[in-house]
Amino acid sequence: MITLDNVTKRYGAFAALDGVSFEARPGRVTGFLGPNGAGKTTAMRVVAGLTPATSGRATVLGRPYATLPNPGRHVGLLLDASAQHAGRTGREVLTLGAILTGVDRRRVDELVDLVGLTEKEANRRVRNYSLGMRQRLGIAHALLADPEVLILDEPANGLDPAGIRWMRDLLKGFAAQGGTVLLSSHLLNEIERVADDIVVIGHGRIVAQGTTDELLMGSGTVVRSSDDAGLGAALVSAGVGVNPIASGGMLVDAAPEVVGRAALQAAVVLLELRTGDQRGLEEMFFDLTSDTAREGVAA
Amino acid sequence: MSTTTSETSARAHPPTAGATLPAQIPGNRPTAGLPFTRLVHVELRKMLDTRAGRWLLIAIAVVIAGTLTILFVQDGGEHPFSEYLQATTMPMAILLPVVGILAVTSEWSQRTALVTFTLEARRSRVAWAKVTASLLVGVVAVAFSFALGTAAHAAAIGLRGATGDWELAGTVWLGAAGYVLLGLLNGIAFGMLLRNTPAAIVLYFVLPTAWSALGALWSGAEKAGRWLDMNRTMEPLFTGDLSGEQWAQLGTSVAAWVALPLAVGMWLITRVEVK
Repeated sequence: MITLDNVTKRYGAFAALDGVSFEARPGRVTGFLGPNGAGKTTAMRVVAGLTPATSGRATVLGRPYATLPNPGRHVGLLLDASAQHAGRTGREVLTLGAILTGVDRRRVDELVDLVGLTEKEANRRVRNYSLGMRQRLGIAHALLADPEVLILDEPANGLDPAGIRWMRDLLKGFAAQGGTVLLSSHLLNEIERVADDIVVIGHGRIVAQGTTDELLMGSGTVVRSSDDAGLGAALVSAGVGVNPIASGGMLVDAAPEVVGRAALQAAVVLLELRTGDQRGLEEMFFDLTSDTAREGVAA
Repeated sequence: MSTTTSETSARAHPPTAGATLPAQIPGNRPTAGLPFTRLVHVELRKMLDTRAGRWLLIAIAVVIAGTLTILFVQDGGEHPFSEYLQATTMPMAILLPVVGILAVTSEWSQRTALVTFTLEARRSRVAWAKVTASLLVGVVAVAFSFALGTAAHAAAIGLRGATGDWELAGTVWLGAAGYVLLGLLNGIAFGMLLRNTPAAIVLYFVLPTAWSALGALWSGAEKAGRWLDMNRTMEPLFTGDLSGEQWAQLGTSVAAWVALPLAVGMWLITRVEVK
């Protein structure tokens, strides 16, 4: 469980985070979505106690991160895959983590294997790692001490498609065991495929949050009938919004069942009745952030 | 690496995940914080597990071996033991503080502070573990240099027929050790204050030169230097016998260049944003 309660972080006049509140719940993958510079990383750093919040409160497992005893055994973090000593081997990085958190050093081998690094790669110095290898090492480090919360900043960066798929399965599996996962990404399709809940941030403010299903729910019902004008009038008198579609038919702000009943009462023959097109997270993402994104209205 | 899970539904948890999860660690999650000894253990390991750290210590050993060889060859090795001791201690006193500086600043230059301070969020404990680990390395290094000095003097007597002169007050040993360890603490303090490798190293090496340059130009600086220039206030330690005034001078300079930057550095480390 991760909770942010009205967290604000200011750098001078600039508010990197402005009254951010959301929750990442156990047993679920929470996707944290936003354009570059929206505040995703800052919010995660506030949770991990690396950046002090100007006001508001962030807790992990019900307490401020700084008060967690042996935090590595509770929370696995991957905030920046490049933040490792270039002169240490991958294995040494994990060994230091194992000693510090007090877990069996055999877990180092287990994790090296699990994230798909070869024996040879693990014994190489981190300066010779590709970004994908660094991400894998970072994920191994996050999972090393068997945490119940995972906080991952752009973990899919630099991974190949097979790696991204592996990560998706891994995070889902982790959540299925009851763990809490908060991951940020700008890869919209990736979030859409892995997250149970989505939090969208733009310009330091939360602009949308909810379950993935809610946020992706189709927009109303598409209907075509033998008498669109008559059906439309019946729906409007029932207090339902109706928008004609240029290519024929109407888009109705109600569930298909409501439209079907209205058609029955108005004795209109339905030619087509279906839920509106799923707009997709990408479109919603651009909608929500178009006024704050650097590129303006992209796509 | 790749998985063969068929993805029937994008957002449903498959009953058996396609990626293997690490084994769960049995038992309850810890409710006790990390013991200090474990922090010291890890900090010691971090000083030695990179090439930079290892080579620095090897370089110190090579320089000491070099100065001892010079003494051994020069004048038929005819030098009192105190000179051998100084020959091993001085280079160490100059170079060992860099070990202390790097122990702190590499966390920031290599950005490992991000990991370090998330595995132990009580940052001042990490900082004290670094001080402790550096001092342990310092004590071992001092013992090593004493042993080398002793061996070199014995060898000069045995192999080159030099006259043995072991005359040395016990307090000189302590003074020499204090000289090295205070310099080391000086380095750590600068590292904590600046958290930047080049800046801390430059400050550490430029400061004594600045004192002598200023002192030559301006008598006020020369007078102040007697109380504040650690190079000068620590010198009497090698005699093993300090007057009351010398103790006061040593104390003043250590307060100014060790205690104060260490205190401010500690305060900063617990408060700065870790980038």
